[in-house]
Amino acid sequence: MAYLLTQLLRQSAQRFPERAAAWARKRTLTYAQLEEKSNQLARLLRGQGFGKGDRAGIFFPKAVESIVAMQGVMKAGGIYVPLDPQAPAERISYIIKDCGIRALLTSKAKFADLNATGTGETQFTVEVDSEAEIAGTPRRLPWSAMDSFPKTALNEAVISTDLAYILYTSGSTGRPKGVMLSHLNALTFVEWCARKFQVTWEDRLSNHAPHHFDLSVFDIYNTLEAGATVYMLPDEVSLFPASLAAFIDQNALTIWYSVPSALVFLLLHGNLKPGSLQGLRVLLFAGEVFPMKYLQDLISRMPHTEFYNLYGPTETNVCTYYQVDREKLASMEKLPIGRACENTEVFAVKDDGSIAGIGEEGELLARGTCVTPGYWGDPEKTARGVITNRWQKDFEERAYRTGDLVVLREDGNYDFTGRRDSMIKSRGYRIELGEIEAALLSHPSIREAVALAVPDPEIGSRIRAVVAPQESLGVSSAELQQHCATRIPRYMIPEVIDIRSSLPKTSTGKADRVRLTAELVPAEQSKT
Amino acid sequence: MTQQTDAAGDQIREFVVEKLAQSKGITVTSDSDSLTEKGIIDSLGIFRLVAFLEETFHLSIADEDITHENFRSIDAIRDYVVNHSPK
Repeated sequence: MAYLLTQLLRQSAQRFPERAAAWARKRTLTYAQLEEKSNQLARLLRGQGFGKGDRAGIFFPKAVESIVAMQGVMKAGGIYVPLDPQAPAERISYIIKDCGIRALLTSKAKFADLNATGTGETQFTVEVDSEAEIAGTPRRLPWSAMDSFPKTALNEAVISTDLAYILYTSGSTGRPKGVMLSHLNALTFVEWCARKFQVTWEDRLSNHAPHHFDLSVFDIYNTLEAGATVYMLPDEVSLFPASLAAFIDQNALTIWYSVPSALVFLLLHGNLKPGSLQGLRVLLFAGEVFPMKYLQDLISRMPHTEFYNLYGPTETNVCTYYQVDREKLASMEKLPIGRACENTEVFAVKDDGSIAGIGEEGELLARGTCVTPGYWGDPEKTARGVITNRWQKDFEERAYRTGDLVVLREDGNYDFTGRRDSMIKSRGYRIELGEIEAALLSHPSIREAVALAVPDPEIGSRIRAVVAPQESLGVSSAELQQHCATRIPRYMIPEVIDIRSSLPKTSTGKADRVRLTAELVPAEQSKT
Repeated sequence: MTQQTDAAGDQIREFVVEKLAQSKGITVTSDSDSLTEKGIIDSLGIFRLVAFLEETFHLSIADEDITHENFRSIDAIRDYVVNHSPK
């Protein structure tokens, strides 16, 4: 039984060396090729002095090499950090420095993007589209540099509680934070999925989510676990819904996992015909609320598919699940987040610190081997989220405070009711409004800034901002959006920015968000 | 290129640059730039673009025509519009 993510690959490579493991942009790698290449990469990394506990960034658009990179880093005893190829350079450079990334697996174009903002203490790169070593600092090696190394496995001095990867998510204080995940965290999830969904070597899994989002952990590692094949969707396909539907059918995908927005997109604009999507035996969604009318429509078109709502923050990956009951669906107003995954426990805690009973609202906490060890380099944030489980009387352990408010139903399922703080979801992306405000405030002309989420029936929330500039300084909303683009990912940039001379305040002198949101919601609704 | 083609290209370029690219801080250097690679088109933007094209050029764009081939660049969009405009 595997206790490391690298063993999933090794075991499947022994059983199915010639089967296709991964497909991306019309290229495939077999299990044998993936195993050998990642062994070579691990040896290359070690040769450069990269070793146990070191961090390597993976920074290029999805390709079969993405999986070689993940496996190669872990085989060298390191921790991989997937970096969003579409994020602004400044943000990537921040993460590289915050995480102490020593090696960067990247491409020439992406490396060039980082030129102005820098690569901190990165010692070397390995570049997927490079043919020869490029002179300079850091040392820049071509992907082919690994070819001269033996294809055999290294001995891994890694144990299950060592970190496998770090995923950076939006931070409320303005900068992203790195969620640390161990091999044990990942395998807790992967093993649950393997049992629940019975993934076999005959399955063909989609990979829609970017690799820095934890939905991709299922796509990639459940594929490797089963000896199946993962199809990484290129942007050209994901962005064009008719192409997306055709892609699923032409490649005979059997398992799909994505945020609901992608499925709504597919439903409304994918030109679905009666035979479309019938090959999918399991359809998983997570990350945001699935609008009921669209879910009902989609499920009615796919009578042979099992639908599951999966819930959980990056800090635990999936911790609860709900299998959609077709009969009950017609009379449901909203879908529950369900019950704890087997081998995970969740409970809701009320404001007074007692455990919530049926019908009572509380904050959801999770315990078990799914819980993250914390945030990289940030013991304060870690202590706030990953707490001692004081409801456990028999021994010391930790639990994670999700920040989500829930209510326990009589049938044992939890309903999601809201959040305490200003974290929102838009198209499934986790966004801290504070991070957007920090980006706006970093512009020299801005004195005050408030970012707001305006509810949207299709994607969860749309983002708007209201700002007040410094006296006598003029600035346009286009300029502000461009400024934001240098600091935060595009999906966080406010679609509309209202510029006012001052913002309304509450009695405590803070910007009155409630009033600002109320002002904006009727305006948005009357536009549609 | 005909005048009609030029005019269509100008209108499309203006929309793409001002309404899609600018707010994301992206510069469009040529009409053959890949709009997807540069991140100018995303899942929200694609439909604003389609709505703009339908209104401006009096077209009805079928879902099955919303593909990478037809929308990959300003050039591709212009060609699509010119080929599908009501005569």
